[in-house]
Amino acid sequence: MLERWITALHTEDPALEEPAATRDRFKSRFPRNATRRMTQLGLLVGSALEPLKLTETDTLVYASAFAETRAIEGYLDSFPSASPTLFQTSIHPSAVQQALIVHQQPVREFFPLTGGAHLPAQAIEVALLASGAGSRRVILCGGEERGTWLLENNSASDRAFAFALALSTSPDGAIGRLTLDHASDADAACVRFLLADLFDVLHARRPFDGLIAPSRRLTLSWS
Amino acid sequence: MSVPSTSIHLSACGALTAFGDESTTLAALLDGRRALAPVPVLGADGGDPVPMALCAGRSFDETAPPGWLAPLRALTDRIPGEGWGSPRRPVFVTSSNFGVGSLHAFRRTGDAAHLAYGTPHRCVDWLAETLGWGPNVTTFSHACVSAHLGLEQASRVLAANLADEALVFSFDFLSPFVAGGFHALKILNADLPTPYQDRETGSIGLGDGAAFAVLTRDRGDMKFVAQSLHNEMHHFTANQADGSGFSACLAPLLPFTAGRRFWLKGHGTGTLEAGRLEAGVLARHFPGFPLVSWKGALGHTLGSCGLVELTIAATAIRHGRAPGTVGSSGPTFTPEVVLSPFEIGAFDSVLCTSNAFGGAHAALLLSHA
Repeated sequence: MLERWITALHTEDPALEEPAATRDRFKSRFPRNATRRMTQLGLLVGSALEPLKLTETDTLVYASAFAETRAIEGYLDSFPSASPTLFQTSIHPSAVQQALIVHQQPVREFFPLTGGAHLPAQAIEVALLASGAGSRRVILCGGEERGTWLLENNSASDRAFAFALALSTSPDGAIGRLTLDHASDADAACVRFLLADLFDVLHARRPFDGLIAPSRRLTLSWS
Repeated sequence: MSVPSTSIHLSACGALTAFGDESTTLAALLDGRRALAPVPVLGADGGDPVPMALCAGRSFDETAPPGWLAPLRALTDRIPGEGWGSPRRPVFVTSSNFGVGSLHAFRRTGDAAHLAYGTPHRCVDWLAETLGWGPNVTTFSHACVSAHLGLEQASRVLAANLADEALVFSFDFLSPFVAGGFHALKILNADLPTPYQDRETGSIGLGDGAAFAVLTRDRGDMKFVAQSLHNEMHHFTANQADGSGFSACLAPLLPFTAGRRFWLKGHGTGTLEAGRLEAGVLARHFPGFPLVSWKGALGHTLGSCGLVELTIAATAIRHGRAPGTVGSSGPTFTPEVVLSPFEIGAFDSVLCTSNAFGGAHAALLLSHA
């Protein structure tokens, strides 16, 4: 069983807020003119990460199923004169890169994941094994932004959210504990636990115990 | 910190490029052939001709299901073993674009059939079902260093004894979505790329690519000596001019390269600034060690390039002869750049590097087991 202590947690829950409103709300949180170029997901993930004060030796794990939905929509709508800015912004881990480039904050290890039904289990496993590789601290973050025409076609998130939690091998100052047990019965039924479900559990700081992927049981407890 | 991977072996690997499998590709590169040819950047919608290397027999314009499945099956049929995607045999899929070309096709035609492949997880779920994989499939997407993340995580899962074997599978097939974007960035023009060549203007080409690698703790004729990652987060499309970000990626590998005689398979897309920086940093750290890039022949296979080129390098090691930097001529950025095929029997390992959007860097050292 892999075990880590949660030493910090920050969440953003704008729900159905439009990107322009998010941009306006966060304009004092980022350097001048930065918010104009950032996506809603970049702002939300950046806001969740900012209090954690990343360092170069942190390992950063990022999970998003749909990632830069609005940039993808805008990029596709820009054809046949494809937008270079929207193209580079549409790349999967752009949200995190926007947030860290603004602060010129390097990070040695950055693992951006995507996925569907088992994305939370996979991201948590990557984070817990990174801790085992000698990183001083692991940051697990994730989020989505709400789509427009891609959402109408069932190809985007129906809500925006973001989270970032710091994981440590030490219980000092911990606010919670996270475990991932690989010994569970591979044939046992899993609960539906998408990235939004992980966010909801974290946002409410609810305890959790469930099989979230085949042979992957997650427990979360809070101090 | 990145991890030494001395206990992780490469037990099997295979690749698909526009030339064919890894053996056909190696032979073509040794002959100095280029798969790149001018193709209208927007496919059926026309546009400027740009250099692309497409797998034979597939349409550049997306179909539903994607036409790249047929050539991909020729590769996946060669993956050894069964039960991939089960609890002890995880799969790590890496790509930059997945089936995003299908979203472009949907927006262009309105045909909802394309949506079944448009998002990363729908594309991977479809592939997993088609290939008979179980649900233990983890997916990374980090532009052109994506494949390195799969290799790193597979190594960690094996080192933690959470798996008996691990399959890393990388793919990226071109579409108007991708080609249109690179063309908009003004680095894709009518000129064929000449990696590491000091000329007036740079250019890149794009290519289809896919590859697999089976990693184990104890079987295989090659092993991963060490792997390293670094993300400088300086600018989306530029590295720090002094090369410090790429140097930071190489630094953890230096103790493992000491005393070794190796050659370098660089990233080498054909852009001037990045190529000059990359060749300069590698020459500074490893003076006299031969450096090659194959993207002047294969095009940049994007999220799959790390594994495609690793597989070709492994095939070259078994063959005893490595291709030079196909398509380039002098003057080169550094004297270490090798333009012609060369004998590698006297070398004990190869250092493979990749670089990506956002100042992401990856490197690994592969040696005989």
